[in-house]
Amino acid sequence: MNKRVVLVMVILCSFLLGGVAFSQEAKLKAGFIYVGPIGDLGWSHAHEQARQVLEETYPWLDTIYVEAVPEGEVEGIIDRLVNQEKVDVVVTTSFGFMDGTVNAAKRYPDKIFFHCSGFKRAPNLATYMADFHQVYYLNGIMAGALTKSGKIGYVGTFPTPELKRHINAFTLGVRRVNPQAEVNVRWLQSAWYDPQGAKEAAEALVAEGVDVLAFTEDSASVVQVAEEKGLPSFGHYSPMLSYAPNHLVSGQLVHWEAIYLDFFAKVYAGLYTNQNLDNLDYWWLLNDGAVELGADFGVPINPVYEETLKSYMVDDPVYGNISVYDLVFKLEAAMADPEYAFSPFTGPIKDRQGNIRVPSSVRLSLEDLITMEWAVEGVAGPWPGEPE
Amino acid sequence: MVLELILGTLNRALAYGTPLLLATLGEIYVERAGVLNLGIEGMMMIGAFSSFVVAYATSNPWLGIVVGAIVGGLFSLIHAFSSITLRANQTVSGLALTMLGTGIAETLGRSWEGKVLTSPIKSFSGDFLSSLPGGLDLLFKDSNLLVVVSIILALVMWFFLFKTKPGLFLRSCGENPSACDALGINVWKVRYLAVLWGGIMAGLGGAYISIAYRPTWSSGMTQGMGWLAVALTIFSFWNPIYAPLGAYLFGALFHLAFRLQVFVAPEFLNSLPYLFPVIALVFVSRLAFRKKIGVPGSLGKPYERGKSG
Repeated sequence: MNKRVVLVMVILCSFLLGGVAFSQEAKLKAGFIYVGPIGDLGWSHAHEQARQVLEETYPWLDTIYVEAVPEGEVEGIIDRLVNQEKVDVVVTTSFGFMDGTVNAAKRYPDKIFFHCSGFKRAPNLATYMADFHQVYYLNGIMAGALTKSGKIGYVGTFPTPELKRHINAFTLGVRRVNPQAEVNVRWLQSAWYDPQGAKEAAEALVAEGVDVLAFTEDSASVVQVAEEKGLPSFGHYSPMLSYAPNHLVSGQLVHWEAIYLDFFAKVYAGLYTNQNLDNLDYWWLLNDGAVELGADFGVPINPVYEETLKSYMVDDPVYGNISVYDLVFKLEAAMADPEYAFSPFTGPIKDRQGNIRVPSSVRLSLEDLITMEWAVEGVAGPWPGEPE
Repeated sequence: MVLELILGTLNRALAYGTPLLLATLGEIYVERAGVLNLGIEGMMMIGAFSSFVVAYATSNPWLGIVVGAIVGGLFSLIHAFSSITLRANQTVSGLALTMLGTGIAETLGRSWEGKVLTSPIKSFSGDFLSSLPGGLDLLFKDSNLLVVVSIILALVMWFFLFKTKPGLFLRSCGENPSACDALGINVWKVRYLAVLWGGIMAGLGGAYISIAYRPTWSSGMTQGMGWLAVALTIFSFWNPIYAPLGAYLFGALFHLAFRLQVFVAPEFLNSLPYLFPVIALVFVSRLAFRKKIGVPGSLGKPYERGKSG
């Protein structure tokens, strides 16, 4: 072979290698830690969908994930991700990972941490949450219009402030159009994923005469009960229309990718570093595109229920005589407004003992929302940890 | 009102207790033959998954049920081979079966996750129900043919075990395999058949979950029912006739845990279904200690010719 050809090839190769080395340096690597299996229809599944969007959208980002991590073992997993997988950013997606993440953030000050649903932050640890309370409110409005017995069933997993906030928002929606209706709550208190328990709880509620079902749990059990019994229901977390094509009215859907895309772009651009995350808390709602009202993505209301909701007229204090169908979209627009024109938790709101919890025309603060323990008027059934 | 509550509770007890009953009935035969099979959970998962796939692909739920039973049976032969032929530790082998079954079902099930069966086995419909005499329509509202079959199976299996000669052989193999062997009974064959039958019943129980109870596939969908069946086997004194009692009691407690939440703290109620087997087991073991009832004499001991069992 000609010497010059060899020389050119060597030079070309070194360029190529140099190029590879360069692009590797500019790449970001993120490790995601999930509390559940990615197969379930709930929380971890939704985070995994978002991770895949990230991976596809940003060519400069590599991601890996670890699923079904028990909450106590998160620190060891973070050690592995940092030391062996050499990740730059660690994303922990369960409230129970909070203390483990905080400890790891101290141990690896040059790495960036992103913890979901927690409240502890550090210079290299930010927090984020896509909250459903606005969407629950809208679903409550539809539930209030669809109940004939005035009794709506709600299956909850654990009585945490998050669930209480959501059930309260749902109930406030119900009572806006149906002031006599009540929301009967039953708690599973077993696991976030408990399909058998959710099914039996829903069956028990139906036996007691509820005729609309909503829930917080990571399977589609409750929706399947609704389909079998022919009752309107509201899905949670993932699109559940296929489980009850004729009996799923709407539901809460999440877009974690909205938050992830924003966060990682800013990390990559150097806007977010391991020095300045102290006060970074994403609390993203409808106006940020982090949550969506829908039976399926792009299907805010199941067409099967359109007629009923359009013909159900109410006298609304703000919008006057209006169909529930229109009311839902008016309020959705008001909440999706960048100015955050309307909050479900705007006073006057009484708790179910009759105490004024939110004075007239006052809006609850974020702090109030994330520590909520009381139950609004209209909630029926047990409420563990209810303040006196 | 009270009558409605009772009938409503029993109605759900039947619907929820059936997979427990099926698996328990199977395990009773297995343990009566002297083999402990802790692999029920795995066999149920395998049964649930295979039957779901077949029912989904063919739109024939009954074909799915049959396949689930067959696959459960075939899968149990792994335990039969290791514990009877190879005389391995039955506890370890059974645990391995559970891990293997759960692992296989969940790995293969990844791409089926969240799929919904459009042709499930439906609960009894209006015409048949309304033809039932007073109260029974409420009692069987959420039941289907498999529920009835499982009750009949409990009776038939009791009759076979205690009133027939092969039933006597089966029990004898669990009590004193050497004596059986001396009498010319093929201990290995009896034990193999018992384990196979246990697998078929567990597979059937799993199939009921994914085709009738909750017609979908999701990982972990048996939710530890196989382990409950192990406890219920003891609770029913290894007697098929008592098996429905335990299974339905568990189902009833599960339902009541939600019905009574308005009156009693949910934390307490939700622990009841799990507290109950513990209390029952203490009770049974005391009874067994005093009267020496039930426990098959050679349970869990591999049989080897020439060595006293």
